[in-house]
Amino acid sequence: MSKFKNKGKEPMKMRDRRIAECVELRKAHRVESILKKRNISLGDEEPLSPEYNTDNAQVITATIQEIVANVNSDCPEKQRQGCQAARKLLSRERNPPLKEIVEAGLLTRFVEFLGRHDDPTLQFEAAWSLTNVASGTSWHTQQVVEHGAVPAFIALLASPMLNISEQAVWALGNIAGDGPSYRDSLIDCGVIPALLARLTPDAPVGYLRNLTWTLSNLCRNKNPFPRFSAVQQMLPSIIQLLHHSDKSILSDACWAISYLTDGPNERIDVVIKTGILPRLVELLGFEELAVVTPALRSIGNIVSGSDLQTQAAIDAGVLSALPQLMRHPKSSVQKEAAWAVSNIAAGPCQQIQQLITCGLLAPLVDLLRNGDFKTQREAVWAVTNYTSGGTVDQVVHLVKCGALEAILNLLQVKDTKTVLVILDAINNIFLAAEKLGEVDKLCLLVEEVGGLDRIEFLQNHENNAVYRAAQALIEKYFSEDGEDQCLTTEATDANFVFGASEVQKRFDF
Amino acid sequence: MLTALARESWPEFLSRNSIRNTRTDTDNPVSKAAAATRSTVPKFLESVEGNQNYPILLLTVLEKSQDEVIRVCSAVTFKNYIKRNWRIVEDEPNKISDPDRTAIKANIVNLMLTSPEQIQKQLSDAISIIGREDFPQKWPDLLTEMVNRFQSGDFHIINGVLRTAHSLFKRYRHEFKSNELWSEIKLVLDTFAQPLTELFKATIDLCQTHATDVNALKVLFSSLTLISKLFYSLNFQDLPEFFEDNMETWMTNFHNLLTLDNKLLQTDDEEEAGLLELLKSQICDNAALYAQKYDEEFQPYLPRFVTAIWNLLVTTGQEVKYDLLVSNAIQFLASVCERPHYKHLFEDQNILTSICEKVIVPNMEFRSADEEAFEDNSEEYIIRDLEGSDIDTRRRAACDLVRGLCKFFEGPVTGIFSGYVNSMLTEYAKNPGVNWKHKDAAIYLVTSLASKAQTQKHGITQANELVNLSEFFVNHILVDLKSPNVNEFPVLKADAIKYVMTFRSQLPKEQLLEAVPLLVAHLQAESIVQHTYAAHALERLFTMRGANNTTLITPTEMAPFTEQLLNNLFKALAIPGSSENEYIMKAIMRSFSLLQEAIVPYIPTLIGQLTHKLLLVSKNPSKPHFNHYLFESLCLSIRITCKANPDTVGSFEEALFPVFTEILQNDVQGIHSSSIPSSYMALFPHLLQPVLWERTGNIPPLVRLLQAYLEKGAAAIASTAADKIPGLLGVFQKLIASKANDHQGFYLLNSIVEHMPPIHHPVQEADLYFALPEASELQDHKICQEMFGMVVEKIVIPEVQKVSGQVEKKICAVGITKILTECPAMMDTEYTKLWTPLLQALIGLFELPEDDSIPDDEHFIDIEDTPGYQTAFSQLAFAGKKEHDPIGDAVSNPKILLAQSLHKLSTACPGRVPSMLSTSLPAEALQFLQGYLQAATVQLV
Repeated sequence: MSKFKNKGKEPMKMRDRRIAECVELRKAHRVESILKKRNISLGDEEPLSPEYNTDNAQVITATIQEIVANVNSDCPEKQRQGCQAARKLLSRERNPPLKEIVEAGLLTRFVEFLGRHDDPTLQFEAAWSLTNVASGTSWHTQQVVEHGAVPAFIALLASPMLNISEQAVWALGNIAGDGPSYRDSLIDCGVIPALLARLTPDAPVGYLRNLTWTLSNLCRNKNPFPRFSAVQQMLPSIIQLLHHSDKSILSDACWAISYLTDGPNERIDVVIKTGILPRLVELLGFEELAVVTPALRSIGNIVSGSDLQTQAAIDAGVLSALPQLMRHPKSSVQKEAAWAVSNIAAGPCQQIQQLITCGLLAPLVDLLRNGDFKTQREAVWAVTNYTSGGTVDQVVHLVKCGALEAILNLLQVKDTKTVLVILDAINNIFLAAEKLGEVDKLCLLVEEVGGLDRIEFLQNHENNAVYRAAQALIEKYFSEDGEDQCLTTEATDANFVFGASEVQKRFDF
Repeated sequence: MLTALARESWPEFLSRNSIRNTRTDTDNPVSKAAAATRSTVPKFLESVEGNQNYPILLLTVLEKSQDEVIRVCSAVTFKNYIKRNWRIVEDEPNKISDPDRTAIKANIVNLMLTSPEQIQKQLSDAISIIGREDFPQKWPDLLTEMVNRFQSGDFHIINGVLRTAHSLFKRYRHEFKSNELWSEIKLVLDTFAQPLTELFKATIDLCQTHATDVNALKVLFSSLTLISKLFYSLNFQDLPEFFEDNMETWMTNFHNLLTLDNKLLQTDDEEEAGLLELLKSQICDNAALYAQKYDEEFQPYLPRFVTAIWNLLVTTGQEVKYDLLVSNAIQFLASVCERPHYKHLFEDQNILTSICEKVIVPNMEFRSADEEAFEDNSEEYIIRDLEGSDIDTRRRAACDLVRGLCKFFEGPVTGIFSGYVNSMLTEYAKNPGVNWKHKDAAIYLVTSLASKAQTQKHGITQANELVNLSEFFVNHILVDLKSPNVNEFPVLKADAIKYVMTFRSQLPKEQLLEAVPLLVAHLQAESIVQHTYAAHALERLFTMRGANNTTLITPTEMAPFTEQLLNNLFKALAIPGSSENEYIMKAIMRSFSLLQEAIVPYIPTLIGQLTHKLLLVSKNPSKPHFNHYLFESLCLSIRITCKANPDTVGSFEEALFPVFTEILQNDVQGIHSSSIPSSYMALFPHLLQPVLWERTGNIPPLVRLLQAYLEKGAAAIASTAADKIPGLLGVFQKLIASKANDHQGFYLLNSIVEHMPPIHHPVQEADLYFALPEASELQDHKICQEMFGMVVEKIVIPEVQKVSGQVEKKICAVGITKILTECPAMMDTEYTKLWTPLLQALIGLFELPEDDSIPDDEHFIDIEDTPGYQTAFSQLAFAGKKEHDPIGDAVSNPKILLAQSLHKLSTACPGRVPSMLSTSLPAEALQFLQGYLQAATVQLV
């Protein structure tokens, strides 16, 4: 709790809440872009014959045995047949036999086929198969990498056959998406210049989509972050892609920016210096959720940076875009917007003033009242940050907008941290009231809206921090209690003994 | 076990100021046989518990003994031993040897699971204490060991596992998110979630197979309740991936269980919740958790839970055993109906009507349990009803639901309820003797519907505009107030009185005036609740404000009822059960304060009654509020009478001194006082006795009294009681040692310094410094020097603006002026840098806006609201002290003094002052200063 009291001293603590959270209980975020994707056969392919569509283990075993025989034969025609059969198996919508293919020992051959410039069809089928194997779990990706596919794929990027190059882009995207270690080894192998070489004005949209996605995966993941030189290499192209008209490209380019800004302030600075902020703000206004979500995430990351970085976002107009996002029909967008607001509210009072001027308080109070739980939680943080850094007038204004009543209602949420954060906000508001000599009035207001009952009830909370905070509020503002004797004075039955005290205590200003 | 579950909910809420109950540290075995030896054996055992192998021996006794009592005792002793010793505290020796620890962990689960229930519970607690320290890192196989027992098919064992798991996991419900915690939960989920789900399904199947076997069902339902609790704990922090994937299984089964009824499981007990109720309550909690936190994922299931829970409410009876279930169920509906995207579930007029009719109205009914409390436990009833400590009652939940529904449907809900109110009133009218509870519910309904905001001090502050409160008052409330038989239908009478009190700010004045004499009449009612409410209502009405900070109801308007009012109030104190009724005494105090000289004719009788009361309560003071109001009333009668006729002081002294002396002497046991004191001076030594100062509550009045002694009798003290002066200073020292009372200490010191004759000036300044505990290092001279600068810089300059009060400000101003102009060190030392800031602070003190809010007229002061109030004591609001200005004569205008002193300083060192001013004093401040100089007609040189 004390971290909010030293305003100005440790603003970072209020801001970078996202970074600390690592262990997750939930399913991976559905809104985020996918780490790896499989190339699934679509309608334009010939319909899969029944043998590929069955889950019958025996049929699959038989098919794989046939594939192994074909792939290992010296006949190019059979090789192509075997490879294609493998690719089809791996491209089934459901339960592709990734593990079986790996265990059949096919990967060595597939990687070998990648170098067969004389047989583009074979190259293509092998690349596709490997892409799909790499789209599996880390173990699957590892198998592909350990069979030496990386240099082969990087080489294939330059293939004159667009579909082969595209397959290589895709496969590399899957490998990069596996985590920081493969991402960095790809970078070490020179993947970035090879990719950027294919970024030409005449490249078809479909190709660019894959390319953008792979670039975004190269920006992705922390511990460690991709190194600065790599980021510097990619950034100009990503910025360029952010002006593309295709929504899917925009989306992945935004995700790339969101990964790059999800880090320490130096990383955020690199992005801000590109001058991309106004464009990001513009993208916040797009209809497509796939664009808005990563754009908002990027903005949220940026305003979690230093005061100056936050100011840069404000200057780019982010505050006029936020109200609309706070009222977005999707609660995930509301939540991210509230998160951004909470970080702006953690800034100096000038920035808080801008929240007021740009009309963010009304939607904020709305979210406190009607948002879903995750949104309310962020909105509560916004109130606490605001009240710990805001001037007395600003705090009064927030209370007048209905925030106090709204957070008091939220004292019954089933989330201990949120409850504590609310109690902190209430305390901040009381401190402001003290300065105005309006404590009595505030007490009445809290009581009127049922807040006193709720705070009293929290004195029974199982969590010690919560119950102590509730008790402190009650004792300080709603009753007086307790003896605070710090020293005892010697006494006889008849008198107190007057004289120097034994206790030595520093007079510490 | 059932009792254990039932009591697991929140500790009982006691009162506003209550500090939570201390959790019992150790349980004692409940055993008659053990009771005899209990006092000596534990001491012996504790003395040997440091020995290696001791815990193992305990467990062996537990396991092998044939005597049930001995087994239970060893289980309890073992648990307490674990509680005291298991935790390894840094820098302290490990109190249990490592081999013992390992052996305990290896055996305890099995031992727990094979023991009878009473022992199982103790061992399960022990496991959770160990688990809290060792799980998961130092006890990695605990979970697997437990999960494996699910396969046993023995539900005695399974329930043991579940109970232990519950005590291990329930902390997930209230701990803060952290990586450590979430890693543990993840681990638990990985090992536990799937088997728990399987067990859940299997148990439900078994319930069907054993649908006719009541004993089997009881065990199975205990399991289901525990499983549901585990579900709550595991899902509390966030929605785990596993449970999201298996939501269908869990929610479908929860839903089925909610709708399930089994005659075999219904209990006859009206009070204690049965297994079905416990299970369903927990399921309501689980659904509420999902609805609140995982709305997006839970949405598909929510409507059917709303329907099920609502059906549950409709079919659940009025018995106390259902209270928790009903309250949880209503709270679930209340939390859902105010969510914008669920409002459609409630929108339909028929649905709203059903909710109102079948859920809200029935739960607002006055139940037989309420009736019992009204009659036999009125004190608690009043606290619950008036002070709102009813947070988990059905009525409270029903009110919350009304408020929730009003968020979107205020109009329709008001309409529907109006219909109900009317029909209930009609029912009542048909046969009041039988149907009086209908009217009670009608009034309650109107109240809950009309109140939008409420405080203790003002009653309802915001009302639903759709409810005509005044009309309801005329048509339905007045009738009961006017009823000639005050003792008929006491509950309805109390309702009517409460209505006036609650809506006092909404009702027009003429209606309130009409109510006053009626309320006076109700003071005579036999029902404690009823006459208490009447007194409370009058007291509240008397504090209402009219124009110009006067009371709404004037003494003139009260004139016709004065005698009756005073009579009835004192008569009410004579009714059995109300002899120390604080509400009545408070009403007496407020009546005196309102009526002022109108009470003078009655004073002779009143003072007799008050002193009589005082003597009675002083023997065994148990109601601090009552005593406080009693003293307030005494003060008021003295003040009012003496104001009207100053000669009466003597007669008061005659009446009161014996009483006071007796009280004070009783408090000071062991001190010998041979004769009854005949003068104030004889009382003086008693006032210095430490016992009196022990109670915080005594301090402000005692200081006030000592100040009065010093003011009027300093000379007498110096001449006849000089030996008491160190004791007086001892009091000062005692007071400044406390943060809460240091200001009282300084009040006292001020009076000593101001009034004691200089020759007897009892202290050297240095002595005083010694007395300041924080300043004890002042013996070091250097620090002393630095400290002056620090005090000026860190305290005086930044804080002086906070000084409030005319006299206090003036004292500060004069003091600062003296530091600035008569303190050479300020001119030529390192302090010089502080000179201008200090001057600026002084000008700020003069010129910046002062807190000029007029303090409340004391009549309106509510004792609970005054700062510093605590049950043991408080400032008597009506014994206020006139403001005293110790430098009043010496300095009339501190601004002029500043100007003159600066002038003097500037002539002493020409040129210095103007240069200091022009270089660093802000222009605005300078301008003010020039104003002072002009007013004083002096110039700086």
